[in-house]
Amino acid sequence: MSSNNYWKGLEELDQTQEFVSSNANEFSEGLPLEQVFSNEDSSRANRRDFLKYFGFGLGAVTLAACNKTPIKKAIPYVEKPDHVTPGVPLYYASSSISDYVGHPILVKVREGRPIKFEPNSDAKFFGCGLDGLAHSAILSLYDTTRIKGPIKQGKRKPIKWSEADKYIIDNLDKVAAKNKSIAIVTRNNTSLLLNQSITKFKAKYPNTSVIPYEAITSSGILRANEKSFGKAVIPTYHFDKAKLIVSFGADFLGTWLNAGKARSDYAQNRKPDGDMSRHYQFESLMTLSGANSDVRLPMRSNQTGLHLLKLYNILTKGSDSEGLELPGNHINKIAKELKDSRGKSVVLCGSNNIHDQIITNAINLELGNYDDIIDLENHYNGNSIDEKVFLEFVEDAKQEKYGAVIFVDSNPQYSFADFDNILNKIEFKVSNSIIDDETSRMCDIIAPNTHPLESWDIKQPYKGKYVFSQPTISPVFDGRNTSTSFAKWADENIDTKNKFSYDYEALKTLVSNEIGRDFNKLIEKGFFEKEALTASTPSFLANVNDSINNVKSRKKTSKELVLYQKLGVKDGSFANNPWAHEMPDPVTKVTWDNYLTVSKPDADELKLVDNNVALIEVKGQQIELPVIVQPGQVKGSFGIALGYGRKYAESVKNDMQNLGTNVYPLVGYANNTNSYVIDDEIKIISTGREYELARTQTHNSIEGRDIVREASLEEYRKDPKLRKVNKHHNLVTLWQEYDYSKGHHWAKVIDLNTCNGCSACVVSCSIENNVPIVGRDEVRRRREMHWLRIDRYYSFEALEDKDLKMSIVHGGDRSIKKGDQLSKEKVMETYSKEVGNFDYYQYVSTVHQPMMCQHCDNAPCETVCPVLATTHSSEGLNQMTYNRCIGTKYCANNCPYKVRRFNWFRYNENEKFDYHFSNDLGKMVINPDVTVRSRGVMEKCSMCVQKIQAAKLVAKREGRKLKTDEFTVACAQTCSSDSIVFGDLNDPNSKVSKLYKKYRAYHVIEELGTKPSIKYLTKIRNKKQTTNHS
Amino acid sequence: MYTADIRQPLVTGGKTYSDVTKDVCRPIENKPTPSWWLGFTIAVVLLLVLAGTLAWTVWEGIGTWNVNKSVMWGWDITNFVFWVGIGHAGTLISAILLLFRQKWRMAINRSAEAMTIFAVFCAAIFPLFHMGRVWLGYWPLPLPNAFGSLWVNFNSPLLWDVFAISTYLSVSLVFWYLGLIPDIASVRDRATTKARKFWYGFFAMGWNGSAKSWGRYEVVALILAGISTPLVLSVHTIVSMDFATSVIPGWHTTIFPPYFVAGAIFSGFGMVLTLLLIVRHVMNYQDYITTEHMEAMTKVILLTGSIVGLAYITEFVIAAYSGYEYEQYAFANRMFGPYAWAYWTMMFCNLVAPQVFWSKWARTTPWFIFIISIIVNIGMWFERFVIIVTSLHRDFLPSSWVMYHATWVEVGIFLGTFGLFFTCFFMFAKFLPVINMAEVKTIIKDNE
Repeated sequence: MSSNNYWKGLEELDQTQEFVSSNANEFSEGLPLEQVFSNEDSSRANRRDFLKYFGFGLGAVTLAACNKTPIKKAIPYVEKPDHVTPGVPLYYASSSISDYVGHPILVKVREGRPIKFEPNSDAKFFGCGLDGLAHSAILSLYDTTRIKGPIKQGKRKPIKWSEADKYIIDNLDKVAAKNKSIAIVTRNNTSLLLNQSITKFKAKYPNTSVIPYEAITSSGILRANEKSFGKAVIPTYHFDKAKLIVSFGADFLGTWLNAGKARSDYAQNRKPDGDMSRHYQFESLMTLSGANSDVRLPMRSNQTGLHLLKLYNILTKGSDSEGLELPGNHINKIAKELKDSRGKSVVLCGSNNIHDQIITNAINLELGNYDDIIDLENHYNGNSIDEKVFLEFVEDAKQEKYGAVIFVDSNPQYSFADFDNILNKIEFKVSNSIIDDETSRMCDIIAPNTHPLESWDIKQPYKGKYVFSQPTISPVFDGRNTSTSFAKWADENIDTKNKFSYDYEALKTLVSNEIGRDFNKLIEKGFFEKEALTASTPSFLANVNDSINNVKSRKKTSKELVLYQKLGVKDGSFANNPWAHEMPDPVTKVTWDNYLTVSKPDADELKLVDNNVALIEVKGQQIELPVIVQPGQVKGSFGIALGYGRKYAESVKNDMQNLGTNVYPLVGYANNTNSYVIDDEIKIISTGREYELARTQTHNSIEGRDIVREASLEEYRKDPKLRKVNKHHNLVTLWQEYDYSKGHHWAKVIDLNTCNGCSACVVSCSIENNVPIVGRDEVRRRREMHWLRIDRYYSFEALEDKDLKMSIVHGGDRSIKKGDQLSKEKVMETYSKEVGNFDYYQYVSTVHQPMMCQHCDNAPCETVCPVLATTHSSEGLNQMTYNRCIGTKYCANNCPYKVRRFNWFRYNENEKFDYHFSNDLGKMVINPDVTVRSRGVMEKCSMCVQKIQAAKLVAKREGRKLKTDEFTVACAQTCSSDSIVFGDLNDPNSKVSKLYKKYRAYHVIEELGTKPSIKYLTKIRNKKQTTNHS
Repeated sequence: MYTADIRQPLVTGGKTYSDVTKDVCRPIENKPTPSWWLGFTIAVVLLLVLAGTLAWTVWEGIGTWNVNKSVMWGWDITNFVFWVGIGHAGTLISAILLLFRQKWRMAINRSAEAMTIFAVFCAAIFPLFHMGRVWLGYWPLPLPNAFGSLWVNFNSPLLWDVFAISTYLSVSLVFWYLGLIPDIASVRDRATTKARKFWYGFFAMGWNGSAKSWGRYEVVALILAGISTPLVLSVHTIVSMDFATSVIPGWHTTIFPPYFVAGAIFSGFGMVLTLLLIVRHVMNYQDYITTEHMEAMTKVILLTGSIVGLAYITEFVIAAYSGYEYEQYAFANRMFGPYAWAYWTMMFCNLVAPQVFWSKWARTTPWFIFIISIIVNIGMWFERFVIIVTSLHRDFLPSSWVMYHATWVEVGIFLGTFGLFFTCFFMFAKFLPVINMAEVKTIIKDNE
């Protein structure tokens, strides 16, 4: 150690008092803390300090403002499954969910998530296209109220499958020991797989009966066919072969029997260039079939029998000798036409009364319509339930004959009056429901089924026609296929040695026994059709006179209540679906609610107007419903839609908690069948209250405008150029024409003749393009977001001549001739006053017009956008650039077609609008190819530009040009009547370029010079009368 | 100098130069009166309403308004056009009347210009906040940007609006400020407090009142008047093109530019009258703002009101004559449709009511003029409402016909803009000379 000492300074050497004390501190000189913290000294900060602080402050603020970039993880597959390429959709053949019976469809799957249903275009027999509810049903897979696994009621405790099975088997054994019966309440079950398992179950529990239950039945037809021909079946109707269709109250294009196939077949025969069919529709309420008919005639539903009888008498006896008093002599005329088209016509009856149906059968037999048009051999398996079985079950259950009940997809607690009393008499109740519904809530245990998209199945919707289901996603929750469950409860070993599930193995065996072909090929194709059976004309076994006497003996009431189904939610079994509720009803354009439809004369008498709340008293039951005054509805008829008023779990949010009123308790029972026409004492009064229905269209008349062109077939045959209705305008344009000679030129043609307004395209478009659901209140505020809508206009037939005095502003005086079509609001107002009644409101003719962005060449929207957010593509599309849009809404104001939709709120990630866009499960259905729009931007039909791009990419990768009509857009794809045709105008072979050249093709509001890419084909009605719009 | 004996003197009450200075500087140099406080408080409350409703709109979305799929513009653009219209009188008075050497303008031009500027502030709120994404409100400006090759659409009338309004606002602001400089200097020179001396000194920009300064001042004023004059015509012409260049029946009309300009002057004078009658009464400026002024302005109202009325009738006749059913329907619908009440309110307020000014009594009775001026303002608001809403609510396809009624948010924003307007105006009345002292002094003995 060195002895050298180095002093820090003289103070150390001297060891002054000051030094000694300060040296003990870490910093001997002390820190200038006081200086820093005292106010006085901080003001002494000099320029340098200021710059330092300023610089630091600025830097710190900048750093703080630099938000961390959100981390988005894209995790690659460790082992990439075969065929799965992120970004490339896969299509699996499967069967539809909503119609339950089974209908071939394709499921579009992206990265393991089913996102859309598409029609299986190979399955021609089943009818091309899917309806709105069929499309919506995909959301049931991603429903937040789904049962996540077996639940024991009481405490609603989730349990394991092993516990559940033990609990169920123990209880079933107890019931069997007590010698009580077990009921399996199914729906209209066409699943062979389920039947097989139930058979196994029955082997173990022989005292088991299968009770089929449907909320709405067509047993009148079943029984009539049994009596008439000895076959209790629903026939297959071939509307594609029928040249003359006479329907008495059967809404075959809407909700009657297998309407999907009917719509498709019907349209094939409605092309005016070919041999166009003629369609007469007698009906009380305004239905889709009535709207599409050539001649729509008013008939109260409780007079169906009389009308049929009159027709029968004329056909068989040559005249109506019985002197039935019915208005008009239409039936004479129709009878003559029917005779002229023997064997090529069909008479339909929508009543569920067996006698009405027997007379219908007799008429059809008389006309030789079996077996070519009405096929009893290759019958339909849907609607094939006789409620007799269920009613017997109810009676037996009341007497406590049943010890256990297993509900398979059925929900009688919702649709059958006072069912809870019956349930209370059954000790053990099991449900296989996948959602928290009315019946499952009453059960002791829920053993949830897998979703149809998660399981294997085989269904037989028609005799000899099979449809397969295959899983398109691994089970989202812990459900188990019900057929597997039954096998398990029948003590079958459901554990398989390999990776395959029990239902797969079972299906494979079943298919090889039943069909015996290459299983994989069958599954890939999705359906299998056996050779159709041929049949001779059946012999008639029933006694028509009994039925005639029954019809004559009915009491004559002047008021009736008709319970019907709406195309949106139908019988209500899939009502937990916002898409189905926001789809406007094709007739009334109401969303979300059911209501009382009233004819105009009745409404005036009862002092009711639209949105008044009426009190309806039937059979001692009181129901309050808002009113719609429905043009075309017959005086004395009142209508209410079934399928509403479902009660879902409390966790269900917003409008899904409040789904209209359940009117199933009003369904009557007559002649051993359910009766949907109630003509007991009906009392309807106004409550004086208001309830605003959410309607997407409130103005119903077309105001005589040249928007929908219409002509009669006779006119069209005489002059295919239709010079009378086709006004061509000599347009001068200041705009430079676009040059589309290179590449593609996309366009659509919409055939107003075959479009029936079913609105399937509306839903298909919404799902494809992630169009938000906005709920009842926003629709009331006229803010529905649908990119594609169906405009529906009425015009009325004047029943008498009248000279009208009208002010010059409204076009001056005019004289109305009998048979003229009235379509201007003011004219109708004046005419009604002059005539003194509203009877002509029953004689309505309806047109539907799908309306979406017209992709104008000279688009008014494009010029006015200040930031060029909407521009024209070189392929003729009017494009919308969402992230450039600042939301001035000028484009929408300047759109003559009013097809642009604005994001008034943030519809995603928003509790208020949580219809699936805001929860993690629901979001799985979002199409990843389409941007979810933010608040404050405009949107509209993009002509499915993502589909165009995808098809072009495939072609490019394969080094070829796009094939003619290789792909199509969402609306066109789903149209059952092929009314919307999309394609490339630059391809001379494409369907669209051929249709574009038709004489019938026109642009809406052509004179404006917007030059749309969409053309419409003039509607042609098959009637002699010319249409004279006034 | 030639003097017209039949004219009343422009300033009454035998005011001297020093009287003018004292009278005009009084509110600036003294504590505000209770009536000022009352008015100011109400205005600020309304301003808070504006802040609240705008904040709610931005927070929740335009969905808080009742505009819908067919009527995408409602009260918002109605209010925009209304306020822009009001803004026109100021420039007209200060620029065009200056060029025409109308000396009666001198007592009122200051406040009229102030009104213009505040009205344009109010107007600017609407095109900004009616945007779905207001935070991107700068995108219509043709700024070089990093978004790629994005540029604005010079075809869009909305873009023309952006230029027209911003030009108008900046020119008006400069013109107004320029006119203020000599008066601010007067306040500075009379200042008794340090603060007042500093601030007025700052804004007086070193004005020294030398002959050279005055010479330059007058040249610049004349040049600015020259620049402003076409703006009086151009701004509302361009605003009218928002509608005129569209395809919507009821909007697509070539008559719109002159009709809108006349309407703007009409409504602007209506508002000037409303304000001046209050100012005159509250601040005892009867000697400066005389019945002579009232009469002159009511004549302008009578003229422009008649032009506007003529335009209404012309428009209707043209529609009837056009043979174009959509146009015909649009006008029939205005008169007899569900919004007929708005149409007839407009007709009464704009065409019928101003006709009372044919009578001398009506032109010279302040309380009566006040009532009519309010009626004119109401009428002109309804004119814009009728044009915008009745045209949109029933256009081409009857399927999209709707009704539109404003929500409390939309009403709140409109009332709130009055809060903004009057807050600014009260501040102006307190801190700046309401009457142009320098100019008025030149006409004290003048009855030219």
